[in-house]
Amino acid sequence: MNGSILNQSDCPEVVVPNPVFFTIGAVSFAENFLVVVAVIRNRNLHSPMYCFICSLAAFHTIASLTKTLENFMIVFADVGHLNKKGSSETTLDDAIDSLLCMSFLGSFFSILAIAVDRYITIFHALQYHNIMTMQRTGAILGIIWTVCGGLGVLMILFFDFKLIMICFVILFFISLVIICSLYVYMFMLARIHARKIAALPVGGRNNHHQQRWGSNMRGAQTITILFGTLVVCWSPFFFHLVIIMVCPMNPYCECYRSLFQLHVALLTSHALFDPAIYAFRIAELRHTLRKMLLCSDWKLCS
Amino acid sequence: MSDFHNRSQTSARRSDYVWQYEYYDDEEPVSFEGLKAHRYSIVIGFWVGLAVFVIFMFFVLTLLTKTGAPHQDNPDSAEKRHRPGSCLVDIDGHQDENDKAFSRPLLAGSRSYFNFYINEEDKGHGKQKAEEKRAGKHTGARVEGTFNRNRGVSSSGMDEMEEDIEEAGVHQQLTGLIEQSKTDRECTFLSHFNIPNFVNLDHSSTLGEDDLLYEPSVILERQSKSHDAHFDIH
Repeated sequence: MNGSILNQSDCPEVVVPNPVFFTIGAVSFAENFLVVVAVIRNRNLHSPMYCFICSLAAFHTIASLTKTLENFMIVFADVGHLNKKGSSETTLDDAIDSLLCMSFLGSFFSILAIAVDRYITIFHALQYHNIMTMQRTGAILGIIWTVCGGLGVLMILFFDFKLIMICFVILFFISLVIICSLYVYMFMLARIHARKIAALPVGGRNNHHQQRWGSNMRGAQTITILFGTLVVCWSPFFFHLVIIMVCPMNPYCECYRSLFQLHVALLTSHALFDPAIYAFRIAELRHTLRKMLLCSDWKLCS
Repeated sequence: MSDFHNRSQTSARRSDYVWQYEYYDDEEPVSFEGLKAHRYSIVIGFWVGLAVFVIFMFFVLTLLTKTGAPHQDNPDSAEKRHRPGSCLVDIDGHQDENDKAFSRPLLAGSRSYFNFYINEEDKGHGKQKAEEKRAGKHTGARVEGTFNRNRGVSSSGMDEMEEDIEEAGVHQQLTGLIEQSKTDRECTFLSHFNIPNFVNLDHSSTLGEDDLLYEPSVILERQSKSHDAHFDIH
């Protein structure tokens, strides 16, 4: 150490006010819980694609619930009702952290599963219903939930080891690369397919070109929004983990680390955006939600 | 125990403390003297890099789209063939069977074009329910995608990705009389009518300025046949 000890660093920790966390938590819980209920209630949505979306929404529900619970605990601890160093409090805190970790990992794996499912839908369309049966979907979801639960517990128990964090970060980057390449590949195929349709000898073809060009443009927007939200919400937190490992003493890194609460808020707000990106784009699901919310009795409205 | 030793050794190298966690600790002071660059330079650099990456990705995708941009072909106005692809994409001209596009002013034509979106979406829901009962729940997702596609790009603002994926997937399958009979019905409506470009300029205007740049020659052609005065809404 240089020998100069400052009582307060020049980069004070940026504190996100608790109402912000509570709002994000409440809204994302409501959205994702509605999506889960809608998928379960509507039999038309009992297919692999919607099961993955339901799993994503379930993970987000758990994440927002546990984050809100953690914030309550922090508020109580700050006020003085809870003892920060007590054994039961630390155990509860560890449990909440592992649940949070599990749900973040789970939502990430669900997004990966959705991308792979969409990839199979496009590139192996004829065998899709043989490849992705409901039994296999159930097995995949079971594996995802088990692995994420185990990893969540492991990571909190052994957070001291750098290896865990390194594995976590590497996993994150590999998954990002896979998701990005899958979606870009799908986009390219959709474009080639559109060109093939446009090449059919049909009158009024300019109509085709306009609409296929428009739909490709919207495809580009969709992919950018989907992948952009994922990257913007997740990478600050992971860069934080990298910074912790690489340069714990550097003052520049300290300034980045002071924004920790902001990065966690961004991570939890991903649960806010995901339903809009995945679930609410499906007309059938929107229809189901409308029926659920506006009609008190399910049978009367259908 | 070896971990403890390692930790204390590394921390002894770095600080005067006997034992501390290697990662972020609140009590650990960091010297801020002699900083050459701004304090938050890493933060700013990270966010700028992220923004550049996302925008770059968007431009690459848009560029890929533009290389497949439409160019002028000889409009084959006299005949229309019965092809599922064309019928599905041209379905937005469905309403024109009563409108006789050339005989109505452009403004009214475009209004009916948008009304069609609303009507078709409602019709689509009704048809969807009837068809799904027949198709059964296993093909529910597939049929839903089919009907999304059959509605043209009207609802595509919401589930464009779904539509593209379902279309690419289902189009290759093209099995089932349900789909064939539906497209046949719609194709007969469309068989007599040429869809003029200017009806779709409302749609293309949402896509961007570049689209209009491709169409000036066609616009000038059509203007000689249709009402010039109504064109200036663009």
